[in-house]
Amino acid sequence: MSSLLEIQDLNVSFRNYGIQSNVLKDVELRIPEGGRVALIGETGSGKSVTSKTILGTLPENAIVESGSIRFEGEDVLALSQGKREAMKGTAFSIIMQDPLSSFNPVFRIGRHLDDVLRFADRRLGESSSVADRRRRIDRVLRQVQLSDTDRVFNAYPSQLSGGMRQRVLIGLALLHQPRLLIADEPGTALDVTTQDEIMKLINRLVSENGLSLLMITHNLGVVRKMADDIYVMRHGEIVEHGSLTTLFKTPQQAYTRELIAAIPPLYGPGVEDQEPVETEPIISLSNVSKSFQEKLLFGRGRSHLAVKDVSLSVGRGEIFGLAGESGSGKTTVARMIMGLIRATSGKIAVDGDAVGEKGQGPDFRRLIQIVYQNPGTSLNPKRTVGQTLSVPLRFAGLSGSEVEKRIHELLAHVELAPHYISKYPHELSGGQKQRVAIARALAADPKIIVLDEPTSALDVSVQKNVIDLLQRLRDELGLTFLFISHDLSLMRNFCSRIAIMLRGELVETGEPRAVFADPKHPYTRALIAAVPVMSDEEDRLKPKTSLEEQRRYLADTVA
Amino acid sequence: MSITSNNEPQVLSARYMAWYRFSRNPSAVAGGLIVISVIFVAIFAPLLAPYPDDVGAAVNFRIRHMAPDGEHWMGTDKVGRDILTRVIFGFRISLLLVVGVLGFAVPIGTALGMLAGYFSGMTEKVITGFTNVMLAIPPLIMALAIGNVLEPNLVNAMLAITLLWWTWHARLIYRVSKSIATEDFVEAARLAGASHWHVLTREILPNCVSVISVKTTLDAAFVILFGATLSFLGLGVKPPTPDLGSMVADGRQFLPEMWWEVLGPGFAIFYATLGFNLLGDGLRDMFDVEV
Repeated sequence: MSSLLEIQDLNVSFRNYGIQSNVLKDVELRIPEGGRVALIGETGSGKSVTSKTILGTLPENAIVESGSIRFEGEDVLALSQGKREAMKGTAFSIIMQDPLSSFNPVFRIGRHLDDVLRFADRRLGESSSVADRRRRIDRVLRQVQLSDTDRVFNAYPSQLSGGMRQRVLIGLALLHQPRLLIADEPGTALDVTTQDEIMKLINRLVSENGLSLLMITHNLGVVRKMADDIYVMRHGEIVEHGSLTTLFKTPQQAYTRELIAAIPPLYGPGVEDQEPVETEPIISLSNVSKSFQEKLLFGRGRSHLAVKDVSLSVGRGEIFGLAGESGSGKTTVARMIMGLIRATSGKIAVDGDAVGEKGQGPDFRRLIQIVYQNPGTSLNPKRTVGQTLSVPLRFAGLSGSEVEKRIHELLAHVELAPHYISKYPHELSGGQKQRVAIARALAADPKIIVLDEPTSALDVSVQKNVIDLLQRLRDELGLTFLFISHDLSLMRNFCSRIAIMLRGELVETGEPRAVFADPKHPYTRALIAAVPVMSDEEDRLKPKTSLEEQRRYLADTVA
Repeated sequence: MSITSNNEPQVLSARYMAWYRFSRNPSAVAGGLIVISVIFVAIFAPLLAPYPDDVGAAVNFRIRHMAPDGEHWMGTDKVGRDILTRVIFGFRISLLLVVGVLGFAVPIGTALGMLAGYFSGMTEKVITGFTNVMLAIPPLIMALAIGNVLEPNLVNAMLAITLLWWTWHARLIYRVSKSIATEDFVEAARLAGASHWHVLTREILPNCVSVISVKTTLDAAFVILFGATLSFLGLGVKPPTPDLGSMVADGRQFLPEMWWEVLGPGFAIFYATLGFNLLGDGLRDMFDVEV
């Protein structure tokens, strides 16, 4: 097979604050005609920089030191600015990562598509009429399975669901029938079931139109479904390259092995079972509902039922997982348990006391602590680690020297060296920040910690360390965890019991082993079936789900 | 994904990065040097001024209306006083006005803005409502009213400006702290048992500092201009105290023949205002905030 794109000895460096750093080092990559290639790596490994170099959209402080990028034998780096511009959208296109921020909210979808088409036509020196462009846009929208083209064409971005916006983005990339499609983490911002649909769509488009695909991702499960050739990147270097089967079965480099081992399996011998915990309940909810009222200038707006009649109980020492897609009400349930918002109806009791009846004093607040999803926003950027950790301690009435001693203990608990006490958040990595956030939660001496997707902003290898840490802390300190997540493979291994939520309702509860072996509710089946996994065995063990069942819960993603 | 390289674990301190951005911005550095020179001149005015006696009610009719020459670099005024000397001392009055006005307006505006942004409900409604009412009063009318009811002098001019100036800070800090208040770290501090006072002063205020400093620097320029306007209209400092605004007003009647009597103080106003504006813009780029 001849190669469509060939990168050789590519070196790119960035200048920041007078310091030059090499971001890409001797990168070599080959995309065959009609091939599907994946570039995987963790945050900061240089995979997005590689795609930007191909497209020619590097920021101003980037310097291409050496190397060549040959597209059909022609070095694009040597081309003139104008020729390079003309290649964008026609030779190669990119599917963006974030379906929401890629659209200008004040323009209709049709306007976005039409603009791209009009400017690309002009660059190519062709003129086109409005009707002609509209016809081409309709064809592309139908290609991405948005059959109600009129509605989509006239909709504002906010009127479409995340899945539909992602489809439109794919459509945007296809408008000019490019030869190479670059997909930068497509569907990462979406729920698993939607992500599954998007992956299938891209695969179909690639094979039907004879495109080549460069897939940039950190999710190895996605790679298995969407690529034949894999390049593993780390610190700007390609550490390993091979075909899908050889690389996954017999990885040569230690780094690749680590990366694969860090992924929690969904089925098979590698799955860990948490021991079931039989204790008296520490959290119990009975028939809890919560409705939010839309606020209008005059009168009452429509009310929206976020949580419907949820009853559950969490035993002392359990790791209770609350799973569900975005908007399923899992965070609302957690916030009601924490006493941050009040339930509209129903009873919530935590550690024997009813929540929401008497005022939540400081004692109650300290009983439950939370670790947030994004450690970047949950730590005050202007305060050092020591200052952040001292807050709960000082408000618990500890004296100066006691606070100091306790902070050192807490840092030891989360496996951070004592000198981190004087560091600011921006000097820490994502995993270190999350450790500090965990230490802050521990500082209040809580009985329950709510973990709100604590690892979703972290790389897989870091995720594994943080999860191991949490597990150890639970065993040592006798904590109870309420774990909120949409990552089912992680929950399979980490939780002692899980509950699945759909549109505010609890549809299934049970021990992970039982739920995953024999899911009762069709939604649970659809959800588990959509999880991207690492091997064919796991795919076989997944519950069988009919297309019809899936459609029922995915109704909003296809117009 | 952000484009950062993790292969070099070298982490630059926030201070270094800010300084790097500032020092590579020529207009910001120029602004900083101008502001430093203005402050330096104001502090050491008695040592720098060539004729310190001319600050007061000195009269020297033999050399009145002299054009600039080697002895009087900016010429002399209608009673023969050295204009350069009076401009140098005029900086003192201008800076005094800046410190007096912003020294009260900034803390008041910041405090009210933070309270309104952090507490919702009645507190927010009352403070923002009151701020909006105050914003509707034209500053010049307010100054005229105060100058007429009380007597027109420096303190009352300061009072008039302060009474209205805090509103701009309140409004800005309200917006900034309202968005900070929704951050996870604020909720986390509350859950850890922190008091409202702690959240306001330790969690929110440090994140407002950059915005406050940019706004205050830009404001200094406007206060100088506004103070000069008031003196020009006869509502500011009383003669013979040297004030840049009233010097322009005095010299105006001898235009266009004795141009130097307006040019000296006029240029001084321009110089100080430009300096603060450039510095403020530079700080804004350095902190990367919106004001």
